[in-house]
Amino acid sequence: MNLPLGLLRFLLLLPALPAGAAGGAAGVSESGMIHVPAGNYAPLLRTPKDPATVSVAAFLLDERPVTNAEFLTFVTAEPKWRRSAISPLFADASYLGHWAGDLAPGPNAPADAPVVRVSWFAARAYARWAGKRLPTTAEWEFTAGAGYTRPDGKNDEQLNRDLYAWLARPVPAVLPAAGRGRPNFYGVRDLHGLVWEWVEDFNTAMVTGESRGDTGLERDLFCGAGSIGAKDTTDYAAFMRQALRSSLKANNTTTSLGFRCARDLPQKPFQP
Amino acid sequence: MKAQLVLFLFSAAFLAAAENTPVPPATPVACPHCAAAAAASAPAASAFTRESIYQLDAKFTDDSGRTFTLGELRGRPVVLDMFFASCGYACPLLVTDMQAIRGRLPAALRDRAVFVLVSFDVTRDTPVALAQYRAQRALDGQWRLLHGDDDSVRELAALLGVKYRQDSDGMFSHSNVITILNAQGEIVHQRIGLKGGLDEAAAALAAATR
Repeated sequence: MNLPLGLLRFLLLLPALPAGAAGGAAGVSESGMIHVPAGNYAPLLRTPKDPATVSVAAFLLDERPVTNAEFLTFVTAEPKWRRSAISPLFADASYLGHWAGDLAPGPNAPADAPVVRVSWFAARAYARWAGKRLPTTAEWEFTAGAGYTRPDGKNDEQLNRDLYAWLARPVPAVLPAAGRGRPNFYGVRDLHGLVWEWVEDFNTAMVTGESRGDTGLERDLFCGAGSIGAKDTTDYAAFMRQALRSSLKANNTTTSLGFRCARDLPQKPFQP
Repeated sequence: MKAQLVLFLFSAAFLAAAENTPVPPATPVACPHCAAAAAASAPAASAFTRESIYQLDAKFTDDSGRTFTLGELRGRPVVLDMFFASCGYACPLLVTDMQAIRGRLPAALRDRAVFVLVSFDVTRDTPVALAQYRAQRALDGQWRLLHGDDDSVRELAALLGVKYRQDSDGMFSHSNVITILNAQGEIVHQRIGLKGGLDEAAAALAAATR
């Protein structure tokens, strides 16, 4: 259990794939959202009772993470989400800590870089304000499971190389622009390689987030969560995302955690 | 098992990483400009404190079918638990524990405290189903049984640090947490798990009302 902290640090150093490698994302709508088709997602962790895959309905997902410029528009319109006004219940003390001021992102938060140091509450409030919502874990992971050229990215060697190279690199002091990563099969960019992202149901991750509390106490801490297990222990990056989600509280903010929004597809018009 | 170990390890590591992130000094709350603006838009008498969970803009329905906002609880100490009515394992115990906490309160407080159950099960735990649960468990007028939509339930759970998920059989896995709120709706204590801690919870509630 006692891995040297240095090693952990190394493993946890976060982000930034070389920008570029772009290409025209075919399915971009005017609103910057991508139509992700329906499919099946195999959850990383499940109980013996759970089915091996869950179906994900077709939905819209932002092509790239929300930027500082976009978040600035939001806090300008919604004063209670400004850094100086926010309740500690909804965001911890490092909320937007790299911004120069309440309404001034400044040099450490370029307009086109993804906004980070935002809490789940703030990300959710932004999404609601924008007429959108956060993606679910299933939606996010299903989309992120695609490779560059095919829907199943598990054996996409280039994607895996890029992903692990990113995981091994330190977080840059100033994040590069969002939307320049190579689009995946669906046309969505930056799911890997730029920042970690909030999902709507992050708090379904059934561990306490504290290793000391998770072993013998588990049955008392959680009703019904006795025997959760992993389906694919080789998916290292997915484990890291799961671990991050399970360790987060809804008011937490970190230097490499941002978000993007999703939306349900419009209801099909009635056809007589 | 190995997978779990790795998971916990990373959880811990992420926490450590989060704690070690240099945090700038908390932004002063008392920006005269903002304070003035806030005061102008919300009269002091109705504003909740900065730590009050009653700031949550979520609507619930009680088991009589009436719309209920948590802010209505202001002024009274609260014992709150998230549960679901068809739960066969921990939830009945948690309700029993809440009754036990009530039994440990000084007499005057016993009649002032409010006991709140909020259901995870937004589909099955309708106000009618909750009314049946009230009858089954013989819960008196000091209990509020609340039904909410997906959003309200998820936000409240997030505020309380409660994790939950619906399993494929329709049951819920969830944290076992009893939360004590003071008269302002601030979290003053949480009993986590299923064993013990009832004296501490009762004491925290009594202290919060002094």
